[in-house]
Amino acid sequence: MGLHVAQAAFYYLAAASVVSALLAVTRKNPVHSMLWVLSLFMHVAGIFLLLGAEFVAAVQVIVYAGAILIFYLFVMMLLDLPGEVARPRFGRHWPLAAAAGLSFAALAWLARSGAGLPPAAERTIDEAAPPGGLLDMGRQLFGPFALPFEIASLVLVAAIVGAVVLARRRPAAP
Amino acid sequence: MVAPVETVLGLSAVLFGIGVFGFLARRNIILMLVSVEVMLNAVNLSLVGFSSHLADARGQVLALFVIAVAAAEAGIGLGLVIALNRNKPGASVADLTDLKW
Repeated sequence: MGLHVAQAAFYYLAAASVVSALLAVTRKNPVHSMLWVLSLFMHVAGIFLLLGAEFVAAVQVIVYAGAILIFYLFVMMLLDLPGEVARPRFGRHWPLAAAAGLSFAALAWLARSGAGLPPAAERTIDEAAPPGGLLDMGRQLFGPFALPFEIASLVLVAAIVGAVVLARRRPAAP
Repeated sequence: MVAPVETVLGLSAVLFGIGVFGFLARRNIILMLVSVEVMLNAVNLSLVGFSSHLADARGQVLALFVIAVAAAEAGIGLGLVIALNRNKPGASVADLTDLKW
């Protein structure tokens, strides 16, 4: 019974995320596009939850939907909005772009069925650290992935400094 | 297992294709960057799908790194957009041809 509900929820979330993504890339008003992307992120976070990735789902909502998307909306509002609505939203080459997107999706779909996926792993009942749980993830992050974890902080510092340097108002050139 | 891993990967492929279309077709530079975020999210979905399929936390760790890099990319990309808008107010991507020869 519980599994059927979870499966129904999964297919609802999958359909809703595809519809949100399609609306996000085709709406004329940039703010509407952004709000559809927010809906996409929320539905994908629901899928993460169903797949047992609770921490990634929380990070998706807090960092993606909460921070990154608001940042985009903020910059969008700083710039010229009415002009954007009047402008054509696609370039003239949009059928080519559609063909590229479709063929990429088809390619990924074919690779998916041809790769010969390994069978699903046996679930071992380990109350202390269920595989894929938060405890297991923390052990990975501070064990084998400690160096990449530190490098991620370096990347973020570089991005902060770079964003300040790029967006700073320069004094008039001598 | 809520859904077979093939379904999750198919959904990820479809979302990635939509992101590719948005990136190539949109003429608004901010919405092009948002399409990149849609693509990154599709990749995260397939990483988490594999993590759940193989009962291995490493996929989720990689998804976290992807989110961190996406945050860095958003900061740099939007800094560039603001600098661009200050130098050429109201420019669309079609007008940005200074690096062409």
